[in-house]
Amino acid sequence: MVVTGKGGAGKTTLAAALGRAAAARGLRALVVETGRDEHLPRLFGWQGQPAGHAGLELPGGPRLMHLSPHEALAEYLRFELRVPLAATRRLTGGPMRALLAAAPGWRELITLGKLWHLERQRGAAGLDLIILDAPATGHGLAFLDAPRAATSALRGGPLRRHAEWVEALVCDAERTLLLPVALPEETPVRETEALVRRARGELGIAVDRVVANAVEADPFPPGLADLDERLAALPQSLSGAPSPRDMARCAAHLRQRRAAQAERLAALANATALPLLQLPRLPQAVRGPEGLDRLAAPLLAEPQPWPQA
Amino acid sequence: MTGAATSAGASGVEGAAELVARRRVVACVGPGGVGKTTLAAALALGAARRGRRALVVTVDPARRLADALGLPALDDQPRRVPVSGAAGALWALMLDSRRTYDALVARLAPNADTRARIHANPIYQRISRALAGSVEYAAMLKVFELQSRADLDLVVVDTPPSAHALDFLDAPARLLRLLDSPALQWLVNPALRAGRLGWRWFRRGGQQVLRALERVTGLAFLEDLSEFLLAFEGMSGGFRQRARAVQQLLFGPDCAFVLASGPGELAAAQARDFLARLEERGAHPQGVVLNRLRTLPGPGGLAEAAEGAKSADAARAALRDAFAARFGAEFPADEAAAASLRLWRNAAEAAAQDAAAAAPLLADAERLGAFARRIPEFAADVHDLAGLAIVEQHLFADRESQNRHAGGGAGNGAGGASGGREAGQPG
Repeated sequence: MVVTGKGGAGKTTLAAALGRAAAARGLRALVVETGRDEHLPRLFGWQGQPAGHAGLELPGGPRLMHLSPHEALAEYLRFELRVPLAATRRLTGGPMRALLAAAPGWRELITLGKLWHLERQRGAAGLDLIILDAPATGHGLAFLDAPRAATSALRGGPLRRHAEWVEALVCDAERTLLLPVALPEETPVRETEALVRRARGELGIAVDRVVANAVEADPFPPGLADLDERLAALPQSLSGAPSPRDMARCAAHLRQRRAAQAERLAALANATALPLLQLPRLPQAVRGPEGLDRLAAPLLAEPQPWPQA
Repeated sequence: MTGAATSAGASGVEGAAELVARRRVVACVGPGGVGKTTLAAALALGAARRGRRALVVTVDPARRLADALGLPALDDQPRRVPVSGAAGALWALMLDSRRTYDALVARLAPNADTRARIHANPIYQRISRALAGSVEYAAMLKVFELQSRADLDLVVVDTPPSAHALDFLDAPARLLRLLDSPALQWLVNPALRAGRLGWRWFRRGGQQVLRALERVTGLAFLEDLSEFLLAFEGMSGGFRQRARAVQQLLFGPDCAFVLASGPGELAAAQARDFLARLEERGAHPQGVVLNRLRTLPGPGGLAEAAEGAKSADAARAALRDAFAARFGAEFPADEAAAASLRLWRNAAEAAAQDAAAAAPLLADAERLGAFARRIPEFAADVHDLAGLAIVEQHLFADRESQNRHAGGGAGNGAGGASGGREAGQPG
């Protein structure tokens, strides 16, 4: 399961919450993050050793991994291609790093290659599900497109063959699911629409729902949907209470935001023709299993088709 | 740098107005999802209103800037954005990395044949066509090209949303490292020889590592690579020179950084991480903008909200009575009072959280002598010039308004004019 979306949309948090949700269902899940810094253990409230490339099994699950492209590359050369150790060291060490740092696309490819490898070994490794917190990318699906890019640039050789295998995994609806996460704002929604269209069309990647993150809760109790207007009609100041006018402005702001969000979400649901999973905007930053579980619960619910207007 | 530039404010801190008056390049940097594109556009708009011929470059293929500027589509040519009453001019363009590379190759290639060979090379095509990571290179090339244009005073650049916020800044250095790297020399020299004599002939020489590389990539790839490098040979000097010039520009006196952050701890932590890395390079942001902060309306703000929470019962009673007096016995006054206070408390809590998350960044700004601005969350997205103008007014206000509670308060829609007017008024 590949969690994708713009930076700041909450991919890592969602990946972590999915890990909790999977563990709650008794699935043995591995949550993989790929960024420069490791964030997952802290999200789970884990105080101990970082997960690193070798991984970390949290008590009660899931398993965490901070995938290092350099280490994955070394593993790939050494064990998949049987490159002798000395040559592997030369290809992945010191001077080659500058070359690699400048070579676009290899990180994405090797990251997916490592996932392919993990997936192939999941029986032996005792894994039911791999959840990838995909790198934040403004280039839409450049990450998932990397194998295809490689197969078109390479005319032969094992690297091309392996890239084809990885591409086959990515495009296999039985094995890979893309989970886009979007904030309920205009541009993220539009980008997500484009992403879903391209993933399902050109790239042939399965998407069966979209996650809308940080959706504002309804600030008004039933029957008081016009609370902001009522507040505005009160005297401007009351002894012992906050100013009704300020409260009215605050309430109006929340109502407008919620209405704007609902409009975006309806547009998203209509454009993608996919069910939406809504996650609430939590009052506090998510830290620790309790916070994650507040997000995990809605994830386990069946996604509802968006009510047609 | 011109002596005629507006003097800095009384505090000695260079504000946004001085920044756009004095610099040639302003780079909006910071974590993804905080509204960098909007801020970049608002800075360019403010510059245009202040007499500058300003161009905003977005490198984000998501076409957000096009939305914000009300343009149906942008391409890699500057488009004029009509701004009524502006003394200067506003232009916008969206980066097209392939075209940027193509143009550079066309300029640096010694002849048409080399140019055609590079353009047709599969490796070049992959590199230039928005493969993850190559956009940063293109962005840096484009900014460099644009800032030297005589018909522009200022280029505001919205940096690419990369996994590593500093990819953009590091692109020139990385290119230089690559061009000077022993690995490339080591690869290029045999590749060049092989390119002339034929890779098949060369591999008989049998360097172990090259054999390993060939095993990984296949022979055809190495042939493509050697052809690419061969064609590129005569151009690397031009690339090198350009990369060095871009680096000097980015870290020189003509360029300023504006660090953007958003609400919440995560964005603030990422922004501070970015700031630390800028400082490692001997640079620092000249401005810090905290975007989309949740705020409370009214002069009392947080203090009053805290006060209100202490005597919640009294507040509820007062509100209930007021509701009952105004709307009569049929109205559920008690429920409305409770809901109003709950809503207010939640808003106060959210505002306090965003303020707390912002505090370290504001302290950083003070320490660095950078201007700091807080921009409130708007009810709707900024998607037109009117919305941008409100952001602009917050950014360019002489000093932060509303007694440390950013902006015109929570009640402003992005399209409303009131927020903009209030933003300019201190206290």
